[in-house]
Amino acid sequence: MRHIRPYVTGGIALLFAAVVFILPFMFILIQAVKSKSEASRLSFSLPQEWLFWQNLIAVFKARDYQLLLAYFNSTLITVASVSILVILSAMVGYIMQRRRTPWNAVAQIALFMGLMMPPAVVPTIGLLQDLGLFKTIHGMVLIQVAYNLSFSTLLYRSFISTIPRDLDEAALIDGAKPWQIFFRVILPLLKPVTVTNIVVQSIAIFNDFTNPLYYLPGKENVTVQLTLYNFQSMYTSQYNLLFMNILLVTIPPLIVFIFFNRQIVAGMTAGAVKG
Amino acid sequence: MTDLALKQIRKAFGALEVIKGIDLDVRSGEFVVFVGPSGCGKSTLLRMIAGLEEATSGTIEIGGDDVTYAEPSKRGIAMVFQSYALYPHMTVAENIGFGLSLARRPKAEIAAKVQAAAETLQLTHLLDRKPKALSGGQRQRVAIGRAIVRDPKVFLFDEPLSNLDASLRAQMRLEIAELHARLKATMIYVTHDQTEAMTMADKIVVLNGGGIEQVGSPMELYRNPATPFVAGFIGSPKMNLYGGAVAERMGCATYGIRPEHIRLSGEAGTWQGRLRHIERLGADAILYLDVPELGEMIVRAEGETPFAPGATLWASPIDGAEHKFSA
Repeated sequence: MRHIRPYVTGGIALLFAAVVFILPFMFILIQAVKSKSEASRLSFSLPQEWLFWQNLIAVFKARDYQLLLAYFNSTLITVASVSILVILSAMVGYIMQRRRTPWNAVAQIALFMGLMMPPAVVPTIGLLQDLGLFKTIHGMVLIQVAYNLSFSTLLYRSFISTIPRDLDEAALIDGAKPWQIFFRVILPLLKPVTVTNIVVQSIAIFNDFTNPLYYLPGKENVTVQLTLYNFQSMYTSQYNLLFMNILLVTIPPLIVFIFFNRQIVAGMTAGAVKG
Repeated sequence: MTDLALKQIRKAFGALEVIKGIDLDVRSGEFVVFVGPSGCGKSTLLRMIAGLEEATSGTIEIGGDDVTYAEPSKRGIAMVFQSYALYPHMTVAENIGFGLSLARRPKAEIAAKVQAAAETLQLTHLLDRKPKALSGGQRQRVAIGRAIVRDPKVFLFDEPLSNLDASLRAQMRLEIAELHARLKATMIYVTHDQTEAMTMADKIVVLNGGGIEQVGSPMELYRNPATPFVAGFIGSPKMNLYGGAVAERMGCATYGIRPEHIRLSGEAGTWQGRLRHIERLGADAILYLDVPELGEMIVRAEGETPFAPGATLWASPIDGAEHKFSA
């Protein structure tokens, strides 16, 4: 009896996980290939007709191929802001961890304010307008960098604290300038946490809905999450196309996650235990 | 010629003064060991020579130049760290040649110097490996290689052997001593292990509480310790030291006698005591005596000493080997 128990409990756990994680995804899949009238019932039945290609093409063609523009915009915003984030937060994290000055406390408070205080939308828009950055892609990039900098910096700082200071000092004696110590000794050692950071941040930024909604209005500025609005209106909703759109929007982050799954966990736990 | 001169070096962290005015001259080619208990300031002193800590006051001269405020890389020093501090993402060759590549030396010159250092340290077959694929002793040798290619005026070692196991430590001790003989370079070596100090040093600097207690050759310190602290620190097992009424009767403030300078007898002698415990090391034996008159006494006798715990023994000092300290 005893040797069966692990399998039973394991089976139950798997079943539970499947209900929580896979059922919603199945629902999206099934709705995405239904016809408009069938999808509007939102039932969990198999479609009578499989309309995968028709729906796919309809979604792409909607509003003059808006989805393609959205993919371009989202990718641009994601790549630009993640690149800036990685460089900037690795540098800030390094200095905050290594250099002991009275300013550390100030920087520390600023960091935690960035984490805890919710950004105020209306003043931010006002500021962006004054700076001429409202409704621009680079303005959006700066917003994403600002919002995610705190978390990213904390991640780097805790990882850098596991790199022995002796390495900095050895490089200093070898004749390295501070920037050489960072780029030639420290940065190469940050690879695990950088992969984690890239994956976590790019998924979050690519999937961001609210911030582009507030700060990036305008038809030519559309991002992928905002295309979901195309198929939803007050009186009619094309659920089949909406779900097909969801499917298409979900795929890129999913691919990233599948490929980097292992590194993410490695980077997340790095620094947690001294190794 | 003097290679290193420290003049009235002080170091304070806030109100806490950890180095209290040190003067020291090191001659060219000397092997100097800083030794002392943990917290005595020996590592801080070394780090100040290296330029990793700034002296609060005083001057440091290396090779005749005042380098008190110079960058570490401009001082003509190289340092070997306790943790080795090898760059984990670089191969052995890149680790050794890192300083040269930072100085933008030609590739051929770097390769030649790395090769020469690797041959000196028998690392040639390991040049393509990463540090994590090396054993402790090999890592230590790479760290020394990194110091050699800098061709420094002064080598600094910060407890380089304390992460190694006992047998490897003995071997590396020998290798470093031989390296010193071959390179004829000035070396400063920090350790808390008096065995390392005794076996390797030309000159030992005993530090205590941020100041120099005594400077001298190993045997000088062994024969004529200036203070009870040096007497207790140099030599193993440590010297028996007695203060108070016992010392007063001898006409001094502290009376000391080394374990190896005591004769034991079953019949007669100066002090009578009971043998509490005996450690037999083979060649010799360490005896722990309870002497009512003095307290605990450690005696070193030959390995075949016939006494057993519980025996009543007489101990007497060898003439002329006693130490009487006025402080």
